[in-house]
Amino acid sequence: MDIFHDNAMLAGVRQMLGAFAKQYIRPVAMKHDREESMPWALMKQAQAFGMTQTAVVDGRKALTGKDDEEGANKPKSQSRLGVVGSEELAYGCAGVCLAIGGSGLAASPVARMGTEEQKQEFRRLLKGDDEHGHIKVAAMALSEPSTGSDISSLSTTARPDGDYFVINGHKQWITNGQSAAAYVVWAQTDPSAGRAGVRGFLVARGTPGLIPGRKEHKLGIRASETAQVHFEDCRVHKDMMLGIGASSEGLGDTKKMLDSTRPMVGAQAVGIARAAFDYLVERVQGGTIHGTALKQHQHVAFELAEMEMEIQAARALVHKSAWMADHGQDNVRMASIAKAYGAKVAQDVTARALTLLGEEALEPDHPVEKWYRDAKIYDIFEGTGQIQRRIIARSILGVNAT
Amino acid sequence: MDFALDDDQALIVQTVRRFVDKDLRAWAGDADRAAEAPGKLATVAGDLGFYLDAVPEAAGGLLDGAYAHVTRALRGLELGRGCSAMAALLECNVEPALAVARWGSDAAKAELFASLAAGGLATTGRDSRGALTLTADGDGVRVTGKIGPLPALGRASHVLLCATLDGAPVALLIATAGQRVAAQAPSAWRAAAWGTLTLEHALVPASHVVARGADPVALIGAWYRSSLAARAAGVAVAAMEHARHYASERVQFGQPIGRFESLIGLRDDALTAATAARLMALHAAWLCDRATDGASIAAAADAASRARVVAGDAVRQATVDAVQIYGGYGFVNDYPVEKLMRDARPYEQLFGDERFDRVLADPDRAGGI
Ligand SMILES: Cc1cc2nc3c(=O)[nH]c(=O)nc-3n(C[C@H](O)[C@H](O)[C@H](O)COP(=O)(O)OP(=O)(O)OC[C@H]3O[C@@H](n4cnc5c(N)ncnc54)[C@H](O)[C@@H]3O)c2cc1C
Repeated sequence: MDIFHDNAMLAGVRQMLGAFAKQYIRPVAMKHDREESMPWALMKQAQAFGMTQTAVVDGRKALTGKDDEEGANKPKSQSRLGVVGSEELAYGCAGVCLAIGGSGLAASPVARMGTEEQKQEFRRLLKGDDEHGHIKVAAMALSEPSTGSDISSLSTTARPDGDYFVINGHKQWITNGQSAAAYVVWAQTDPSAGRAGVRGFLVARGTPGLIPGRKEHKLGIRASETAQVHFEDCRVHKDMMLGIGASSEGLGDTKKMLDSTRPMVGAQAVGIARAAFDYLVERVQGGTIHGTALKQHQHVAFELAEMEMEIQAARALVHKSAWMADHGQDNVRMASIAKAYGAKVAQDVTARALTLLGEEALEPDHPVEKWYRDAKIYDIFEGTGQIQRRIIARSILGVNAT
Repeated sequence: MDFALDDDQALIVQTVRRFVDKDLRAWAGDADRAAEAPGKLATVAGDLGFYLDAVPEAAGGLLDGAYAHVTRALRGLELGRGCSAMAALLECNVEPALAVARWGSDAAKAELFASLAAGGLATTGRDSRGALTLTADGDGVRVTGKIGPLPALGRASHVLLCATLDGAPVALLIATAGQRVAAQAPSAWRAAAWGTLTLEHALVPASHVVARGADPVALIGAWYRSSLAARAAGVAVAAMEHARHYASERVQFGQPIGRFESLIGLRDDALTAATAARLMALHAAWLCDRATDGASIAAAADAASRARVVAGDAVRQATVDAVQIYGGYGFVNDYPVEKLMRDARPYEQLFGDERFDRVLADPDRAGGI
C-alpha cells in the first residue's frame, strides 16, 4: 500500500501545483473573494499549465504527459492524482480551486458513461475561448430548489419526443451555472420508473430553453460561481443522453459520480486546513504576547500540535480512499469518511486559528477569516456532513437511521 | 436568590424585543450589504434610550442613580437576536461613559459627555497582547501603535483603552480628533463602523488617564465581557430560532428535516450552550452591579471572563450549525444564517483570548515564562 508517500509523479504534481498556488493563486484570492468574481485570467493560466477543463475526460496523459501504465499497474482511476492536485490548489484558495476544477464534476460522468461521440462533443464545447475571451467551463446540474440531499425526488423531467428529450425544471446552486459552455443535467425520463428513470444529459450553452439564472452571493468560495439554471422546454437530442444502452443505473449514476469525486473534495478541505495551519505557524514563530514568545507557551504550541494531528489524519484518510478507488476497491464508506472528516478538520482548524490569532484576524481581508468561511461549504456540498454519516452508518448497520 | 425579572426589567426586555423583531431584523441584511447602519437607527434607538443610558443625567444623559448591568445583559440578549453590528453600535458608549463618570477628571467628563450628548460614539479596546508602547510623560502617557480594529472606532470621538504602563494596568481616554483613523468593513459586524487608530507617540494628558491600577481595568473588562457574552448568547438563540423554523418547513426524504435526530441534536446542544451562556452572562452582570472593592471586582471579572468563554463557544457552534441545518441555502445570503456565522467571530476575538489570559494570570503559574 503506497498511500504513505507520493510516488515521483505525484510528488511532481504536488510540487508544481503547490508552486502555482503560492505564486499565482494567493496573490489574487482575496480580490476575487471581495468582488465575488471568477478568476478568468488565472483559469486561463492554469489551462496553459495543463489543468484543462476536459482533463477528467482526457485521462492521465493530458494531466501528466504520460500514458497510463498498462497491465496490472494500470490504475482504475486518477484519484490519487486528483487528491494531490486538489489539496494544493485549495491550499492557494478553495474558491479558485473550484473555478479551475469545477468542470471536473461535469466531466466525470461523461468520462465514465459517455460514448466516444459524447466525449468528443464535450471536448468540442469546451474548446477555445468564449466571446469575453474566457476559457470555457462546464457545469453539473443535479440539485434543485427543493431537492438537495434527497436526489431521488428530482422534479426536473426529460420527456421523450421523437429523437429528442424535452427538459423542464429548475436547478439550484450550480457551480459555473451562469457561465458554462456545457451542462450535464440530471432529469427524470420516466416518472413511473422512479430511480431507474433518472438520466444525465449533455446540453450545450445556447440550446433554446436552457436559461442560466441568478448568481448567488455566498459566505465563502466566492471565486467560484454558483447560480440557478432553468430548463424550459429545452430540446436535447437523445444521442446526448449519458449511459445510452445498458450502462446506466439511473439515479445510481449520480451516486457513482459523487463517490468518485469525494476524495478530491476531502482533499480540498485538507488544503484549507493546511493553509490556516501554515499561516499560524509563521505567525507564532515570530509573535509575542506581553513580551514573551508565543511559541514558548503550551497554550499556543499544543494547539498547533492538535491541528497537525487532525490534518495528518484527514490527509491519510483522503489518500486511503483515493488509493482504494485507483485499485478498483469499493471505497464508498472510505470516501464518505474522508470527505466528512476533511470537512470537520477544515472547519475546526480554521476556527481554532481564528481564536488564536484573536483581534488581528478581525482585519478586513484576513486570509484565515476567509478560509474559515470557505471551509464551511465542505460540510454542505457533494453530500452534507449528515449525508456522509448516513452513508457510513448504513455501511455499518445496514439500515438508514432517521 | 431569584431568577425572575422585576417589572422594569420585563418592560425593557419587551420593548427591546419588539424593536429587535420589528426593526433590527428587518434592517440587518441591508445594513450588512451596505456595511453601514441605516440613518434611522440613531433616531429610533435614541428614542428608546440607547447611546445615553450610561451618561449621567446631569451631563445630558439618561442615567439617574446606579447603572444596572443586569438590565444591560437582558437587553443584550435581545439585541443579539437582532443584529450584532447594530447591537455593537448601541452598546459601545456604555464602558467609556461609566468609566469616565466613575474615575475620570472633570475635563474628561466634560469632553466625553458633551460629545456623546451631541450624538457622538465612543468605544473600548484592550491591548491584549501588549503590542502597544506606552511611556510615562509627566502625569500623562504617550502611546505608540495601532489600536483596533474595533467596532465604532471608524466614527468614534473617543476610545477607552485598557493597556499596561510599566507593568501596571491603566485606562486611557483617547480623543480621535486629529489622529490617524482608518474606517474598515471586515466581514463580521459589517455595519458596525469599524476602524483602527494609529498613534505615533501621541500624548494622553493626565486629565485623560482615567484610571490606574488593576481594579478599575478589571471592572471595565467585566462590563465589556459580560455585555459581549449576553449578546453572543442572543445570536446563538437567534441562529437556532431561524434553523428551527427552516427545518420545520424543509422536506427531504419525505419528512421535515427538523425531525432527523441528528439535526434535533445540533439544535438541542446549541440551546444547552446558549442557556448556559445566558445564565453566566446574567450572573456576571449581577456581580458587576455589586462590584465595589477588590474582591468583588475580581469575582465579577472572573465570572465575566468565564461567561465569555462559554458564550464564544456557544455562538460559534450555534451559527455554524444553523448554516448546516439550512444546507445550501445556509451558504447564500438570501437567508439570515450566513451573516450570523460571520458575525459570531468577534464575540470570541475582541478583547483578547480569555482562556489564554486566564492561563497567563493563574497564580500557580507565577515564576513561569
Ligand atoms: C456553493 C455551492 C455549490 C454547489 N454546487 C453544486 C453543483 O455544481 N451541482 C449540483 O448539482 N449541486 C450543487 N450544490 C448543491 C449541494 O450539493 C446541496 O446544497 C447539498 O447537496 C445539500 O442539499 P440542500 O441544500 O438541498 O440541503 P437539504 O438536503 O435540504 O439539507 C438541509 C439539512 O438537512 C440535513 N439532512 C437532509 N437529509 C437528512 C437526513 N436523512 N438525515 C439527517 N440530516 C439530513 C442536511 O444534512 C442539512 O443539514 C452546491 C451548493 C453550494 C452551496
